[in-house]
Amino acid sequence: MQIPRPLACSLALGAAAVLLSACGPSAPSAPAAPLADPYDIGKMDLKPLPAKVSAERHQGAFAEGGSLSLGAELKPLDPSPMKSVRLDTTHKIIEIAPGVKYSAWTFGDQVPGPTIRARVGDKIRFSMTNRSDEAVPGVHLTAAPMMHSMDFHAAMVSPQDKYRSIAPGQTIEFEFTLNYPGIFMYHCGTPMILEHIASGMYGALIVEPRGGYPTKVDREYVIVQSEFYAKPEPGKRKAGGAPLYVFDGDRLRGAQPTHTVFNGTHNGMVKSPLAAKAGERVRLHVLNVGPSKTSSFHVVGTIFDRVWIEGNPDNQFRGMQTVLLGSSNSAIVEFVIPEDGSYIMVDHHFANASQGAIGLISTAAKPPVQELEHHNMPASATPTDPDAVAGKLAFESKCLACHTVGEGKKLGPDIAGVTKRRNDAWLARWLKEPENMLQSDPDAQAMLKDYNNLPMPNQSLSDAEIKQYLKYFHWIDAQPAGAAKAAGAH
Amino acid sequence: MRAEIAAAGILLTLHAPAALACGYCVEDKIAAAYDHAVVVHALARKHHVAFFHIDGTLVPGESTRRALEAIAESTKGVDKGTARVSVESASLAVAFDPRRTAFMDVQKGLETKLAARKLSLLPLRLIDRPAEMNYISR
Repeated sequence: MQIPRPLACSLALGAAAVLLSACGPSAPSAPAAPLADPYDIGKMDLKPLPAKVSAERHQGAFAEGGSLSLGAELKPLDPSPMKSVRLDTTHKIIEIAPGVKYSAWTFGDQVPGPTIRARVGDKIRFSMTNRSDEAVPGVHLTAAPMMHSMDFHAAMVSPQDKYRSIAPGQTIEFEFTLNYPGIFMYHCGTPMILEHIASGMYGALIVEPRGGYPTKVDREYVIVQSEFYAKPEPGKRKAGGAPLYVFDGDRLRGAQPTHTVFNGTHNGMVKSPLAAKAGERVRLHVLNVGPSKTSSFHVVGTIFDRVWIEGNPDNQFRGMQTVLLGSSNSAIVEFVIPEDGSYIMVDHHFANASQGAIGLISTAAKPPVQELEHHNMPASATPTDPDAVAGKLAFESKCLACHTVGEGKKLGPDIAGVTKRRNDAWLARWLKEPENMLQSDPDAQAMLKDYNNLPMPNQSLSDAEIKQYLKYFHWIDAQPAGAAKAAGAH
Repeated sequence: MRAEIAAAGILLTLHAPAALACGYCVEDKIAAAYDHAVVVHALARKHHVAFFHIDGTLVPGESTRRALEAIAESTKGVDKGTARVSVESASLAVAFDPRRTAFMDVQKGLETKLAARKLSLLPLRLIDRPAEMNYISR
């Protein structure tokens, strides 16, 4: 078993202290040599060159650099001490959930942006062209070009110089040295920052300790948790036959996400689990970029042997079940895969998990579906009709206290099958004026009796909102039995 | 020659006012009022786009934004439909034709109108060609 360097140092200091105290006050003692501080500010590079902004437009790949990993699987460390990284900004349509085409803003033409891997002492030579004005082949639905910038949490630099916003067509270049180990967020820092992050402009920069990690592992993956705040594009435009979604400013400011995901996709690593074998040691580099929610990251079936908060082995915990990450917080978690199976990564804040923050690490190529059903979190279908989506969101925020979708009676009836039990006119009137219905409609009166004389409150719904509810109810009843579930219904 | 210099935007450096010592904030303010369609359309006609910090007290809200944009667009020399205001970032952008109205006159006209609201302007940057953000001279 290897002992991490800080622990070894502590033990050595402790032993030295015991020996010194045993000698008594009269015994001569040589002063202990001070240990070198790995975070000696005097030895850090804090004098980066000024940034350069030019009108030279890069026209090659959107992401370039030997230190970049484009997916969850991390490439080994590139040993070069100087790492050239290019991450151009683009606007493109991405699919954040089945049928949900979202107008995203990106670094490196993907969400999350590519993961950069380096180590303490390395220099990053960064360049970025704002290419948000470049047309995406076949797609003319992206957001208008705008100014963007890059904010590296791993850098110790003047933000006034390095993190300047640049206009479409401009390029910014700057360098910085990595002084601390950790998993650091990078993101666009242009106002409104909340919108830029919620639209997809973030990624991870992993900085290994100068001497490497104190443990050896068989697999390494990066998990980036983030939220999307989506609404159908007001003009009802479509992308690839599906409704186009844009960020919802009201939900964004209210911190009410529609999707909470790992690596940019709702339940993405359920369809494509991360591979591992029984007995292997797995290291996950976990970063929660938010922008506004915390993550209670947990892997079902394992205990984290080691947790290095912020990805720095000096910040170590042992034997943890869950690690709590605020926005832009990170951790390395290491654990052993005890036996064959599918190990479920979740945000144990289950409202987030039910919005898509779920994935698998599996010893099988195609894990059985029941693994998810065990947690009542099937990779549920999502309506694509904008009215049905709006109805679903409204239902989930207003009605789940009293109703379920396919999970039986609660204070009120199960909504599954409601369009088969009642016609639309009856449902519309019931949603509009339940108190009047209870005065005159025999079916409404009978239902009141069935549910302990607990009347449904009038939600003051508009006709448009009622239409959205009905669309959602019809969508539920068009799904295979048991397939539709409401988010947060646990 | 003099006219060419004027048309090029008179690109001498303006010392940043103390209130705008933070260059980061300058670009933030520009980004908040930046409209790519306005910039592209202006440059295609050889017009320029000027960005200003708005100094003074702004009442937050959409009505303030609309009112300030209307004031800006009623100013002589400002291209109609090109005024953009960010109340949150206290910034203003307008396009104008430098062959017809010099930048200084555009600024003076804007400030005269905004004075009624006890507002003044500090010039930030001028775009006179694609992907160029230049300092503004007096």
